[in-house]
Amino acid sequence: MKHVFTFDPDKCCACSACVIGCTDQNDIDLAGGEQCFRKTYDVEIPLQDGDVYYAYLSTACMHCKDAPCITACPVGCISKDPDTGFTIYDNTACIGCKSCAMACPFGAPRYRKEDGKMVKCDGCYMRVKNGMKPACVRACSFGAIDCVPEDEYLASGSNKACNALIDQLNLRKKI
Amino acid sequence: MNKIAIIGFGGAGYCAAEEARKCDPDARIDVYLDTDIGPYNPMLTTYYVKGAIGYQDMFPFGSLEKIEEELKLNVFRKTPVVGLDAAEKTVIRADGSEESYDSILISTGASAFVPPVEGKELPGVIKMRTAEDAVFLKQYLSEKKPKTGLVIGASWVGIKVLEDFMSCGMDCTLIDGADWAFSIAVFPQTAQRIHQDLENKGVKLGFGQMLDHIEQESDGQLTAVMKNGNRYTADTVAVCIGIRPNVGFLAGSGIAMNRAILVDEKMRTSAPGIYAAGDCCEAYEVQSGQQKNIGVWFNARKQGAVAGANMVGACKEFGGNALLNLAHYLDYDFISIGDVSACTAEDEVYEYEKGELYIRAVRGEKLKCINMIGTAQINGIMKNFFVKSFETEDAEMDVPTRCHLLANGIPAEFIDFIGGKTFD
Repeated sequence: MKHVFTFDPDKCCACSACVIGCTDQNDIDLAGGEQCFRKTYDVEIPLQDGDVYYAYLSTACMHCKDAPCITACPVGCISKDPDTGFTIYDNTACIGCKSCAMACPFGAPRYRKEDGKMVKCDGCYMRVKNGMKPACVRACSFGAIDCVPEDEYLASGSNKACNALIDQLNLRKKI
Repeated sequence: MNKIAIIGFGGAGYCAAEEARKCDPDARIDVYLDTDIGPYNPMLTTYYVKGAIGYQDMFPFGSLEKIEEELKLNVFRKTPVVGLDAAEKTVIRADGSEESYDSILISTGASAFVPPVEGKELPGVIKMRTAEDAVFLKQYLSEKKPKTGLVIGASWVGIKVLEDFMSCGMDCTLIDGADWAFSIAVFPQTAQRIHQDLENKGVKLGFGQMLDHIEQESDGQLTAVMKNGNRYTADTVAVCIGIRPNVGFLAGSGIAMNRAILVDEKMRTSAPGIYAAGDCCEAYEVQSGQQKNIGVWFNARKQGAVAGANMVGACKEFGGNALLNLAHYLDYDFISIGDVSACTAEDEVYEYEKGELYIRAVRGEKLKCINMIGTAQINGIMKNFFVKSFETEDAEMDVPTRCHLLANGIPAEFIDFIGGKTFD
């Protein structure tokens, strides 16, 4: 069953519990210089009128429907999981060329210096297939991130899908 | 029933066949190949040479037999197409036989260009483009164990061949006719840093000189003699000057061409029913609005898929095409986005350097060109924003994108420079 990640910025305080959950689930060696697949941001952005916008965000791979990283990978490491719809990978033949990173509008694929291979968020697709929530979702105390079946999401009328960002990608009209 | 032909079967040809089959399960799809091997990625050849991947890994879609069966194709192996009657949508095979189709895709790719100089056929002079080239070089390096290598052409292939040589412990020299490496994509300031890095790694450099001919010394070594009289001697010489689209067989066909076949957004050529995709075509590029040959794997696959769908009645378009050059070699990476030749002395320049990170960007009314060293993590974001800045009036960054750039050490001033300034 296809799944959708949702994110509600109004509930996020960038506490990074999701990052801890992701790090633990994927055995990411932060001390060794690796980066977690999920990132949180707590950023103050000055506005033109002198006010400040406080951004609290948690982001990872958006699991785009037509994922450009899949097309860009020269060795075919990246694919769609037919059950969950998540963008997954097998980096056995990865050559570390970073073509996937060049294709990704969100900076999701990461280059692991230790073995020279690409790694990324796979949506914890094995957990989801076994009826569990992804690690980041389970770790979020505020319900800011969720992962729900696509039909449930569509029926809810919500507009909180992470990959809805794709439709407005990098676009913000001047006011 | 649609009856289509695909001439040439690389990334573009494969994706065209895959998409055509998806859109029309009953279509007859004939594929013409000069060889009897499946679609491979030319970019992977140098990775095979240095042992990063196995031979089969150069073929990301699997074997030709598997593809033939899965996509229900009629594959004509070792059957070169030598001509095309565009008006009749008819292919002419080398044996003189002909076959007509409802639509035809030209996806013949490109070949390594070796200038017609004396000595280019000498043993030890190599080129790199095909799987065959890769097998030859790997075997050559393994058997002959050359100690010194000369790479002529500081191109994207040249630098990877140089990496292959260095992985064998060879003493390397890199020379080029231009005044600096990757001259069609990088600013001299960027090149200065690229040169310094190569020299730090022990590569000897020589720029601004053209190859005249290659001689063989009495001890078997090769000497590249330059037009300015300089002589470079090495055990092996790699000629990596560039590539040329495989379009010679279209002479007299009436199909509009520049250096390659001109296509519109739907990958249609000037001849009705004839399409082109991949390294042999020039598609519209967002910055100039002109058709340009931008030979990258991603483009080839996307263009092929668009052509394949349209050939069986769909209506898809290829967009988001920008001049783009990504190099990753010897633990060093840089990217160039946009047209360096469009920059003028009147333009605004942004420059930033901190540790291994270097950024140089130029804009007039709009962005013109961005060079970045050591920014692999954000290259996709930048490329995407660059394209959007041409496709959408007043395109600006959203908050997550700005946050991501800042978190990766990109200065706020640079984000403002490229146009990510306004937040409400």
